[in-house]
Amino acid sequence: MNKKTSSAGFRHQLGHFGDVVHDRWLRAPGWQRWIVYLLLIVCALLLPSESIGSFMSPDTDWATILFFPIGTYVVLAIGLNVVVGQAGLLDLGFVAFYAVGGYAMALLGTRMGWDFWVILVVGIGICALSGITLGAPTLRLRGDYLAIVTLGFGEIIRITARNTDSIGGPTGISGIPHPPNLSEDFELFGVKVFKYGVLDPRPYYYLLVALAVIVIILVKRWEKSRVGRAWAAIREDEDAAEVMGVPTFRFKMLAFAIGASIGGAMGVLWAAKSVSLNPNDFQFLLSATILAAVVMGGSGNLPGVMLGAFVVAWLPERFRELKDYRMLIFGAVLVALMIFRPEGLLPSRQRKAEFKEGSGGMGTLGAEVPGPESHGEEVASR
Amino acid sequence: MLLEVKDIHVHYGKIEALKGISVEVNEGEIVTLIGANGAGKTTTLKTISGLRGLTSGSIVFDGKDISRMPGHKRVVAGLGQAPEGRGVFPGMTVHDNLLMGAYTRSGDFSAELAEAYELFPRLAERRNQAAGTMSGGEQQMLAIGRALMAKPKVLLLDEPSMGLAPLMVQQIFSIIEEINRRGTTVLLVEQNAQQALKLAHRAYVLETGKVVKSAPAADLLNDPDVQAAYLGGGLGHDAPEEPAVSREPAVSEEPAVSGERSDAPEA
Repeated sequence: MNKKTSSAGFRHQLGHFGDVVHDRWLRAPGWQRWIVYLLLIVCALLLPSESIGSFMSPDTDWATILFFPIGTYVVLAIGLNVVVGQAGLLDLGFVAFYAVGGYAMALLGTRMGWDFWVILVVGIGICALSGITLGAPTLRLRGDYLAIVTLGFGEIIRITARNTDSIGGPTGISGIPHPPNLSEDFELFGVKVFKYGVLDPRPYYYLLVALAVIVIILVKRWEKSRVGRAWAAIREDEDAAEVMGVPTFRFKMLAFAIGASIGGAMGVLWAAKSVSLNPNDFQFLLSATILAAVVMGGSGNLPGVMLGAFVVAWLPERFRELKDYRMLIFGAVLVALMIFRPEGLLPSRQRKAEFKEGSGGMGTLGAEVPGPESHGEEVASR
Repeated sequence: MLLEVKDIHVHYGKIEALKGISVEVNEGEIVTLIGANGAGKTTTLKTISGLRGLTSGSIVFDGKDISRMPGHKRVVAGLGQAPEGRGVFPGMTVHDNLLMGAYTRSGDFSAELAEAYELFPRLAERRNQAAGTMSGGEQQMLAIGRALMAKPKVLLLDEPSMGLAPLMVQQIFSIIEEINRRGTTVLLVEQNAQQALKLAHRAYVLETGKVVKSAPAADLLNDPDVQAAYLGGGLGHDAPEEPAVSREPAVSEEPAVSGERSDAPEA
């Protein structure tokens, strides 16, 4: 009993400490924030160092797992966070967009011989389009119904890829070109930063950091804008948002398209590094893992989501020596987190308040969910 | 006529919820729709605000047919709604909620903001509090204040008294009266028929998706049928559909009053 209260007290104190830090951060002038941002980017660039690698991943090459799964999961989680965390749409098929991006790189790179940079732009476009294609018919649904349709979409993409022989069928595509070298000889601390070869994963990791920084800046901008406020309103109460004059359907589509583009960009980058891909790289489990990262980290809060993705990607790699038991332990860690911090590791304040109220915990999933047929004739969203 | 609902039919799946409802609202009026659970009051309001599509019939607002207009455009046209129950954004502060109300507007709306805080001084005290942590009455105030931020011509109110303490109900209703005095037309959906009829100019009584009576509110207040069915005060008028069995004090409690059932919040 006594122990229980002391642990609750500790958690309370920890929460209070978090609030103090948060307030200090909100009051900090712009230049101080920029210094912190720059330091964080520098830290991210220094991460693939052997000195921490021996602790962070004793069993595998640290720089390799920094690119995949850690970095990849972080970028995917940022993308999914736009859909789930900001607009409150439960998407269980996010891996589909990652797959579309990956296949865009593989096909356009091997068949058309296009350049990585061109494919990156085209791939983002294709993914945004596929996001809209999926969204247009399904975003009239809410909550669980939307989740199930997106889950189906994720599976359809994978199974279609497996059964279409012209794109490699179950064996997939190999010989995907690497990005062209930006510079053959440019060296920084003994790493040829801009030479994209087979052996050294670090140049790809730096490319990923660059992509992540751009994505974070864009997402943060959206969050603070009119668009972000519309998403927040939709997440908290879709009907109320509509009667406030928010074109809910359009903004939900936008969230889908943006999330899809981010997932697709990551897919392109990942395919460009990995030489070959096949449909089994895009299992449902990946969607579920990314969603777990978002929810566990603190859905809607960017630093939280990134932390969640890091933990979800890193823990199984760190404890590789436990072999198959590591997934068991991983599951136990997830359960423990949901018991002790159901709102996530680093939730935003707004989400905390929604969570307490009971409606916004998981987008519209927690709220009243009308049947699919009752929304067939909805004009609000047209 | 500012708002005219002509013979609308609305379906939930195969079930017909509204079977031809016609309602007229003139400028400057307070019109109320009363009725029991499931009569179609909320559905009517949602159809007017565009949250629900209609199968047939039409809605004419300000001389234009808005039957097929999406909900968010109706806000621009001048229909403001305070949604049923806790229709506020729980994670946003009171202030942010009010600003969401002005989402469609550009330019300066500090005057409306000041008016909202003046009408509801309670909101000014709590402007930085998350809306979800406030009491039901305060949330209702916020929902009304937020709807006013868009400067609507017609304010649609869905059960503003639901789940509130009697004192708070009085307060909310006097504020609705004040809002109307300042020039906003009000269409009010209520289960609390007594209060609504005292406040409104005209009233419609809804029963299972149809309008069964429409008259000046004062007349309905004295109408024996309405009294028996909705006002619970029908002493002397035994409600005809009430079986005698239920009146027997089988359990040693207060004898059941026929009108009490309609006080339960609508699902």
